[in-house]
Amino acid sequence: MNARRKEELVGYLFLVPYLVLFVIFIIVPVLVSAWLSVVQLDLTNASKSAFIGAQNFTDALKDDFFWQATGATGRFALLMVPSVLVLGTAMALGMNRMAQGRDMVRALVYMPSMLNVAATGILWQWFFNNEFGLFNYTIRKAGGTPVPWLTDANMAMPSVVLMSLWWTVGGTSVVVLTALQQIPKMYFEAASLDGATGQHIFFRIMIPLLKPVLLFVFVTTTIASFQMFGQAAILTGGGPTFATRGVVQYMFETAFNGYRFGYGAAISWLLFAAILVFSSIQARVLKSQVEG
Amino acid sequence: MSRQRGSFNIHALVLGVLVLVLTTGVIRWSMLGGGIGSKKTRLAFWNGFTGPDGVVMLKIIEDFNRQNPDVEVAMQRIPWATYYNKLTVAGSDGRGPEIFVVHTDALPRIRRAGFVADISDLYTGKDAIDIKDFDQVVVDQVQFDGHLEGVPLDIHPQGAFLNKQMLKGAGYVDSNGNARAPRDRVEMTDFIEKATREPGGDLKDKQWAFAFTYWGANFRSLMPQFGGRYLDEEGNADLDSEPNLKALEFLAGIAKNKQAPPADNGLGWFGFRTKRVAMVWDGVFMLGDLTRLNDFEYLGAPIPQIGDKPGTLANSHVLCVNKSVSNIEREASGRFLKYLSDHSLEWASAGQVPARKSVRENPEFAKMPVQFAFSKQIPTMMYPPRTPVIFEFMLELDRAVERVVRGQIGPKEALAEANKNAQTVIDRDRREYPTTPNLSEAKP
Repeated sequence: MNARRKEELVGYLFLVPYLVLFVIFIIVPVLVSAWLSVVQLDLTNASKSAFIGAQNFTDALKDDFFWQATGATGRFALLMVPSVLVLGTAMALGMNRMAQGRDMVRALVYMPSMLNVAATGILWQWFFNNEFGLFNYTIRKAGGTPVPWLTDANMAMPSVVLMSLWWTVGGTSVVVLTALQQIPKMYFEAASLDGATGQHIFFRIMIPLLKPVLLFVFVTTTIASFQMFGQAAILTGGGPTFATRGVVQYMFETAFNGYRFGYGAAISWLLFAAILVFSSIQARVLKSQVEG
Repeated sequence: MSRQRGSFNIHALVLGVLVLVLTTGVIRWSMLGGGIGSKKTRLAFWNGFTGPDGVVMLKIIEDFNRQNPDVEVAMQRIPWATYYNKLTVAGSDGRGPEIFVVHTDALPRIRRAGFVADISDLYTGKDAIDIKDFDQVVVDQVQFDGHLEGVPLDIHPQGAFLNKQMLKGAGYVDSNGNARAPRDRVEMTDFIEKATREPGGDLKDKQWAFAFTYWGANFRSLMPQFGGRYLDEEGNADLDSEPNLKALEFLAGIAKNKQAPPADNGLGWFGFRTKRVAMVWDGVFMLGDLTRLNDFEYLGAPIPQIGDKPGTLANSHVLCVNKSVSNIEREASGRFLKYLSDHSLEWASAGQVPARKSVRENPEFAKMPVQFAFSKQIPTMMYPPRTPVIFEFMLELDRAVERVVRGQIGPKEALAEANKNAQTVIDRDRREYPTTPNLSEAKP
């Protein structure tokens, strides 16, 4: 065995612990889930499981609750993705202009992203509480009318988005800030010498050069939005009247509360297909713009 | 030199592995109860008693372990939200606990997984648990095809919790000047009128006579009062019947006439414990929350008779044994179940009503005023339907009630839709699992 081959082998050996876990916790469950999606399997009657082909998928497409959950997920993604992009970019621009204390602000802004969803959800449940929550307390003090943040069917989803934004936008802004700082200063200097306004610099220099990272944020935020579960499950339990119950929560309830594992697995594959389609379209459209 | 170093490393490695294996083995052996002369039968007992009730249960278990040196029961508390998932997965795969608690409404579903043992023998022979010591409606919940598959530990009916000061303020006192609860529809309406106050425009200054807690459960408490039911004799959904409609119309009227905090206000139990709501309907287990408040005078009472007869919803914790236990474990499990049942008065202090009549007749039980008051409803209470699709069934019903209370849909339309959807679920389950017995519900 030559030295190069040996080096390669050592490299693979370093990967082995991760690969073992990857196969056990990712590959095997994916394969099991693929099998589950084509069988009728109720956990309380596992011995009576049967192969039913695509029936779980066709049932899901005829299921009102599935479409209701899809609608809720869609609403969340529609509100969340543009908000993350705009706010994350705005925050990055702000931090980029800071002459002092940027590192401290960046650390503070990033901090919420380090919390897990359960801690964040419980914290915001207190903020949103109708009677004694921070937000309504402030509104009352200012002479306003309290807002039914989580208990009104129309308000609940924007409230879930608000919490999700607080939780994740810091991470996005740090990523965008890093990309901003990679842009060579000479571009801005040259533009200024040529008499470019701030608006011109932002739209003609910054945005085109940020496109790859914005594409990354766009695609990853879309995928994360399609997978929304913890935020709504903790804040609203999916209510009121299922207004915030997304596809993942419906899949979880079907499989783990209703014990219909086959049907739950089919829903998860439909979600995967939707994510794949949307992500591919986004990636293609934005990539062509970046390259163009 | 390098060869010597390599040889030393191998020896050290072999020695290290040996020590590790031995240590692990000893730890595992001691954890499993190994040791000279150790003959303890170890039983895992799973439940969802994660609140103050768990502390009471732990005390009972410690006493049992002390009095039964050959048995050691270890309690595993899992939040109810994920309890049944874990129990079903573990039980189906042969890794379940020896003993576990199941709510009566979950029992038809859990038993279909095939790991709930028939424990009819605990009710026969010497030292048997006397079946006649339970109300028939309670026995019905654990009986399947003539076999008894659990020991009911308690009953938790929904009842009325009331603020004594507000009752007195509205003139609801008995001949001794003590606060008393409204008893019927006329008094309930009168009480709502007298105890609801709106001194200012700000919601926080309002005082409400009544607030919804868990809408679906509040509705289900009224169902038996009007003669309503969940399923018909054949096990088909019967949610859109006239009696159910009457019960829902009453609640819808309260919401529509703004006689309770708005649906989006979410006062409910919180409003009661902060003295802004005079009466709520909730489970007896909520007592644990009130006992932590120092300056709050409350009383428990049966739910006012709004319909043609008294009634409320109920549920029970049932003690079950795993089918796969050994004979020794089975004997020890039986002993533990009997001990818990015999000591259910202690358990009642956790905010429960004992399932055994003889325990409820104990003068000590009468000293638990809320539990005692709630127990008066036992002859008229109605358990949830006995169906393996309980989760989806209740989801449909609860959604219907929520939409009505929120004013999104009329009671008739909501119940009709819930009935149709619930029947679809039942039909699907019958189609997929035709051998599952058809269980009609137990009558109050």
